[in-house]
Amino acid sequence: MAVKQWMVSVAAALLLTTAMTEPVSAASTPYESYNYNYWEEAVPGPAAYVPSRAINGSGLDIGDFQEPGDMAAAGDGRLYVADTGNNRIVHLDEKWRVKEVIDGFENGGKRDGFNRPTGLFVDDDGFLYIADTDNARIVVLASDGSLHMLIENPASDILPADFKFHPLKVTVDKAKRIYVVARGVYEGIMQFDGNGRFIGYVGTNKVQRDYVEMLWRNFSTEAQKAQMVLFIPTEFSNMDIDAKGFVYATNIDPGSKEPVKRLNPSGEDVLKRFGYFDVSGDIRYRIAEGPSTMIDVKVLGSGMYSVLDATQGRVFTYDDEGNLLYVFGGKGNQLGTFKAPAAIEQIGNDLAVLDRGKGDIVLFEPTKFGSAVNAATALHYNGEDTKAVPLWEEVLRLNANYDIAYIGIGKSMLMEKRNKEAIEYFKLGMDRDHYSVACKRYRREVMKEHFGEFLSALLLLTAVWAVYWLARRRRTVAYGSAEQIAKEGKWR
Amino acid sequence: MKQDFFRFPLHVIVHPFDGFWDLKYDGKGKLRVALVILMLVVLSVIMQKQFSGFLVNFNDPRNLNSIMELITIVFPFFLWCVSNWAITTLMEGEGRFREIVMAAGYSLVPIVLMYVPMTIISRFMVQEETAFYYLLTSIAFVWFIGLLYVGTMTVHQYTAVKTVLTMVLTVIVMGIIVFLGALVFSMLQQIYEFVLNVYREIIFRT
Repeated sequence: MAVKQWMVSVAAALLLTTAMTEPVSAASTPYESYNYNYWEEAVPGPAAYVPSRAINGSGLDIGDFQEPGDMAAAGDGRLYVADTGNNRIVHLDEKWRVKEVIDGFENGGKRDGFNRPTGLFVDDDGFLYIADTDNARIVVLASDGSLHMLIENPASDILPADFKFHPLKVTVDKAKRIYVVARGVYEGIMQFDGNGRFIGYVGTNKVQRDYVEMLWRNFSTEAQKAQMVLFIPTEFSNMDIDAKGFVYATNIDPGSKEPVKRLNPSGEDVLKRFGYFDVSGDIRYRIAEGPSTMIDVKVLGSGMYSVLDATQGRVFTYDDEGNLLYVFGGKGNQLGTFKAPAAIEQIGNDLAVLDRGKGDIVLFEPTKFGSAVNAATALHYNGEDTKAVPLWEEVLRLNANYDIAYIGIGKSMLMEKRNKEAIEYFKLGMDRDHYSVACKRYRREVMKEHFGEFLSALLLLTAVWAVYWLARRRRTVAYGSAEQIAKEGKWR
Repeated sequence: MKQDFFRFPLHVIVHPFDGFWDLKYDGKGKLRVALVILMLVVLSVIMQKQFSGFLVNFNDPRNLNSIMELITIVFPFFLWCVSNWAITTLMEGEGRFREIVMAAGYSLVPIVLMYVPMTIISRFMVQEETAFYYLLTSIAFVWFIGLLYVGTMTVHQYTAVKTVLTMVLTVIVMGIIVFLGALVFSMLQQIYEFVLNVYREIIFRT
């Protein structure tokens, strides 16, 4: 009896400890998790992230957030929220308690405030960049809350004289260059140097030709043309910057195949799109709902980045090669679903999504599946494919339909020269390019191995044929074959 | 047997003018050989879809259906023959229906000859070599069209230009037949519906 009790208590303790240490694994989510397979089907899969908690203004005892527009996470877990409707910035510490509410700053001895701030960025030195939209300026505050710099009324030859500056989103690179998405600016992202001087534009969205529209225009009168839709490039919706100083930008052009761009310093799009599909969120959607509308992007490190879709309230995470890793989130009223998502941030391993409609922030924690995928992708990104194999195997145990895992294992085997096994894995992952490489190597391997046998067989065959031919010829010369005579007789 | 099934078809594909002449006037063509070739084409296409190498096989294995392959080859084949017969009867063609079927059947030989080995070879191909796969399968198809052209020309004793015209018209007639067929089918369905509704009305009234 005592033994039994003891065993039960040990088991219970074990259960508790394992439950404590292991990341969340099989919690039910209010959204359906899926990924697209090679055949463009949305295949259900385990959730990569599950919502753990949500926090709103009243929960923080500072009054409800009013249409919060953006948030920014500092490296140490602190979080800044742009509470647009309340004209204030809320500063939360790493435990999500209010540290301070910034509603103004000292400007030349006078108290100055914000007017609908919609964009935020915090750099590594703790400087806080605020896109103070309706005050037409960018406010840069030092970490102690004092004013560091103001960017107002940018002047340049390429800007029109009556240019109205309404910054919406702001991002800063390592060299302190400031990138700004501004309202009504179609030329691209505005770039300022460290002193707040306007340098120029980067990364213009291209207008796509619509041939039907062009034809239609030819037959229209001037008055009709004036009434037509103006074709101007779309504005960017948001941006983020990676460790190498490349700007990731999203746009909301509904017809675009490239709603996510990675801009190099000269403004060219260098995002890798080697996955099965375009980096554009949902590839299958109802016509009534329309394609994904990318409104924010967050660089996660190791080449991964998450984009936030406002149409379906989903977060799509891609790896550096443009493979869709996982999808989570959705529209709704439960914890983990959104009304009008506005921004996404990374806090440690977790992802936070700011919901403008509900005025709250939801924290998502990676599941066992999600963490394994993240870790394996990071290892693959760093070239440590062999170390990634056990993780990919773990991923496959949880989701046998995960093509990227098959490809990952295949790549590792290719490096270890296990070509035959690699072939199988690439076939499972439907990766034709790598399959071809593995196939070529395996073929050469087999040919090398069996070259001797092949050559002997060939020699033998040639010898047999030669003997047969000689024998036949001798007979024909001596007696003439009946067949040949018949044939020749017939034709002559 | 050897003459009918191997020698003569292989002679036709390399010496089409000579071969199709013999087919028509020397009675060397056999209808059953043409039908066997047609079946072999069906078989080689099914084989190709199922067994060709991963690098050239873009078919979803879950959607492969041998019956569908059979229908999509056999039906257009006979549709071609019927349309060609219909159009050439009006255009003073000398060919009989039998001969049209034979000419079309013997023309299909290159497809069998190319598809089967290419299906096997494609399993050992790498990406750079797949160009040859596409090249050779395209050659097979062009060869088939060429043979069909010569076959039609010889069987009906047409001039070159008239053959082209006939072939184009045949394709149009194929479309018309399909259209009429669909029309008749949908009308029959509506008549059936009508009769069924009348029957139901009577049942409910009494």
